[in-house]
Parts: sequence; C-alpha cells; structure tokens
Amino acid sequence: MAAPCVSCCRGLSYRLFLGLRVNFAQTQGYWQTLPVDAQTAPESQRAIAYLFPSGLFEKRARPIMKHPEQIFPKQRAIQWGEDGRPFHFLFYTGKQSYYSLMHDTYGKLLQLEKHNDPFPQKTESMNLIGSRWLIKEELEEMLVEKLSDQDYMQFIRLLEKLLTLQYGPAEEEFIQRFRRSVTIQSQKQLIEPLQYDEQGMAFSTSEGRRKSARAEAVVYERGSGKIRVNGIDYLQYFPITQDREQLMFPFHYLDRLGKHDVICTVSGGGRSAQAGAIRLAMAKALCSFITEDEVEWMRQGMHPAGLLTSDPRVRERKKPGQEGARRKFTWKKR
Amino acid sequence: MAARALRAARRCSELAGAVNRAVWRLPGLTQVRWSRYGPEFRDPLIDKEHCRKPAAELTEEEKYDQDLRKTQLIKAAPAAQTCSVFADPVISKFTNMMMKGGNKVLARSLMAQTLEAVKRKQFEKYHAASAEEQATIERNPYTIFHQALKNCEPVIGLVPILKGGHFYQVPVPLSDRRRRFLAMKWMIKECRENKPRQTLMPEKLSHELLEAFANKGPVIKRKHDMHKMAEANRALAHYRWW
Repeated sequence: MAAPCVSCCRGLSYRLFLGLRVNFAQTQGYWQTLPVDAQTAPESQRAIAYLFPSGLFEKRARPIMKHPEQIFPKQRAIQWGEDGRPFHFLFYTGKQSYYSLMHDTYGKLLQLEKHNDPFPQKTESMNLIGSRWLIKEELEEMLVEKLSDQDYMQFIRLLEKLLTLQYGPAEEEFIQRFRRSVTIQSQKQLIEPLQYDEQGMAFSTSEGRRKSARAEAVVYERGSGKIRVNGIDYLQYFPITQDREQLMFPFHYLDRLGKHDVICTVSGGGRSAQAGAIRLAMAKALCSFITEDEVEWMRQGMHPAGLLTSDPRVRERKKPGQEGARRKFTWKKR
Repeated sequence: MAARALRAARRCSELAGAVNRAVWRLPGLTQVRWSRYGPEFRDPLIDKEHCRKPAAELTEEEKYDQDLRKTQLIKAAPAAQTCSVFADPVISKFTNMMMKGGNKVLARSLMAQTLEAVKRKQFEKYHAASAEEQATIERNPYTIFHQALKNCEPVIGLVPILKGGHFYQVPVPLSDRRRRFLAMKWMIKECRENKPRQTLMPEKLSHELLEAFANKGPVIKRKHDMHKMAEANRALAHYRWW
C-alpha cells in the first residue's frame, strides 16, 4: 500500500514534526475531548502514520543486490598453514584441484577394471542423450583453477573411458556431477493448431523464409496434390524442375504426395529462394497433420532431414581490399 | 560393449572438434572460412528408408544416433537435395563441377542430355547386335556413368614436396574422395579442352563416358600416365612423412 517515497527522510522528519506537535498538543492540553495519557501517546503516532506513506521501512522497497558470489569471483583460501606447509599433497603441481580430480577418477577406473566382469550383462546405461559433458569454462569454474584445452580433453577422455565399464550407483553419481542437461530440439517446434473452414475441411497455415523470400502456405487436409502459388499453378510458376522437386520434398518424405492441397503466397527473393521458403512453410504446416496419428516419429524424422530448420545463409558481403566476398585481387609481385 | 567403445571414440573426435571450435569463437580471432551455422549444427540425414525402420530392426548404434539427433541442431537440407529415387549424389556432384558461373539450370540440362545420349547410343548398339552380344551390352546410363568414373579413378597420386630447395614429385596414396574428385575433374577437363569447337558438351561427354566404361580413351590414359610417373618416382617415396 505504501508507495516508496524518494525523499523519505523528509517525510519521516515531517512525521516526527507532526508527532512532536501532537505531543506538544497533548502536553499543553489543547485537545480536551481526547483523554491523553502516557499510554495512548504512541498510539496517536500510529494513528497518523497512514497520512505519511514512506517507503523507507517497506520490505518490497529494499534495494535488490546481487548475491555476493556473483560479485566477488570465487577465490581460493590460503593453501598453506602457519608453518608454511601446504595442506593438499598435490599443491606443488600448481593445479591441485585438477590433478586431485584426475587422481580420483583414475582410481575409480582402476577399481572398476579390477572388479570388471569380462562378459558383462546388458545393464541399463544412464541416459546420455539428454545431457552433455560440461564445457571447459564450467569445469574451470567448478575447480577454481585455470585449465588448458589438453587438460580438459584428457579429463573428458577419462570420463568417457569410465562410461565404457560397468559402474555402480556411486560412480554414476560421480559422473552426473559433470553432465549438464540439453533440450530436445524436435520438441521445440511449435505445432500450429488445426483450423476449420466453412466446408468443415481442416487446414493449417504457417510461414517460411529463405534469404529475402517470405512465404505463407495453407495446407488442406484432403486434396489431390494441387499447389497454387500466388494464384498460379505451380507448374507455370516454377518452370525449373529443381524448384518443383523442392516443393514435393516434404510430402514425398512423409509419403503424402497426392493427398494434400496447398495454396501459398510468396514474395521477395529469387526463384530458388522462393521455392525454399515455400518448402519450409509446407513442412511446418504438415507437422500439425502428423501429430494426429500415432506415428509421431514422422515429425521427429523431418527434423533430422533438415526440413524444419530455417536456412540462415545469406549473401556474404564484399570486403574492402578484396574483389568479392572471398576473391582477392590478383597478386602482383611488383 | 563394443558399441559403447565406438561411441566413446566418436565423442572423443567430436570433442577435439568442439575444443577447436571453442578456440575459434574467442574474440580477437577471426576465422577465414566461417558459416552462418554455428559449430553445433549437424548435417541433415535425407534417407527416407532409414527413418522408416521400426525400432526392433535398428542396431544399438543407429538407435543411439537417432536419439542423439533429436537433441542436436540440424542444418537445413540443401536446395539441390531431395529424398527422391532419382536423386544421385554422384550425378549431383558432377553437375556442380560442370557448372559455370552458378548456372545450375544449364549444367543440369547438359547432364540430362548426356545421359540421354549415352542411352541412345547404347540402344542403337543393342538393336544392331546379335543375340549373344545383346546380353553383354549395358543400357542403363547410370551404371555406365558410375562404372566409367570408377575406372578413371587413380590409385596413387603425386604430391610436390620441398626438400633441399627442390620440389620432388613424391608418390602418395590418395583418399577415396580425392580419387573421385580427380576422376570427375579429368573427365570434365578432357571434354572441355580436347574437342573440336563445334561439338557440344553432351555429345563429347557421352562419348568419353562410353570409352571410359570400356577402359579406353584419353581419361584412362591420363590415369595410367599418373600411375607410371608414381612408379618411376618410387625411390622418392620415403620423403613422405605421413
């Protein structure tokens, strides 16, 4: 309720001033109607407090500060005692945390190799798909030490070797400390909800772009495979075979060649860019038709085929001192 | 167990690439060859049949691959590639090498005319031949194309190595992709340069392909010349250090 007051000290002093006036009034006996005594004096201050909203004491108006760990980088405590002897036995290697970690990991590896069954049964390996090894920067942050690329790669190689052996839950927990999770890309794809037109036919709309071409495709659920681009039949709009092959690609990949009708609009770009933009739009629109079936792997199949990725490639700029984007001027000896 | 080791080996090689890429992404170090895709993008897999396989038929490796691809970012499929049965990667590569100035339409039409010319010539020979010979005549232009290029591939190549202030041509084993590239390059160069002015490219190319299929012709001769030079410089082979 109380708004944060910028000049809160002014408000406070004003409050005190008015409070003092009230006290003065109380002591002088100005207000005869109110019986004022020592016990009700602080209550009168509280009674007028609502008149002077101040943010000084408001919890929500407290300054928001970063956690001290974010401001001050992690530093190592002093590594040696009063007598000058270091605590850790690997102090003189220079990278004691890294080498002690390698030492522990290798110890675990040797232990597992000793107890390893030469003919291991199929055990449930932990799911490595949704996670990745932590990167060098993350490892450096964890160990509070600078590492070189070779050190990092050596450590990851050790961990990979550990994965090939049979390990128990203790080792699994140890390994999980060095894994970070990764999002599933195919689930990121937003599926457009199906819309229905007057005849009750389902259709799906989506956009696609390639270079400077922008396309919007409307894919109907039932049809005979006709495609109309900007009101023109696709055979006349794309006289080149390669472009028509690109239009057919998403349908051919899902085995739905003659089953859908498409009406699309496209503008900008060149002939190949327009074809690519329409292909992307159609692939995205088709996603909403597939998820109705049980066969969801079809949609997951479009993602590895590269049909659902927007092509980020654009024309590279010409650089000064060169003739083109890559071509240099002819080298003359003198 | 073996699959796990394979996976580990693959991940290690990916790691090296990842570390290199991480080094290149530092500020102050600009790459000469860079692409709009980040280093984490993988190449797309355009194989309909591979996608269709039910889970039971997949080996452990393939299952792992499939799951892994779900988490990875994939590049967009290139504009010249489809999952059609008529799309041939070797033909596409040859078409791109024939292309001049980005004129893919012309290159593709020349390729189509070449294959048609090859087919026509073979059919003429077929109809003119007797019954026993008809069994030996190959009429599929795609098989002829693949076999001709395979016949033109050199086995060993020469590399100039600087030693003691002189460049020596040292015989060196070639990788598969280098061999395929050399075969295609020789074929195209031969057809562009050593022909009378009036003959068109499809005519000349179909003639060369048929000759290479029969293991004769100038491209095969060039391959043999390369082999003879490598044999002659056999003594220099120890200059190679890889």
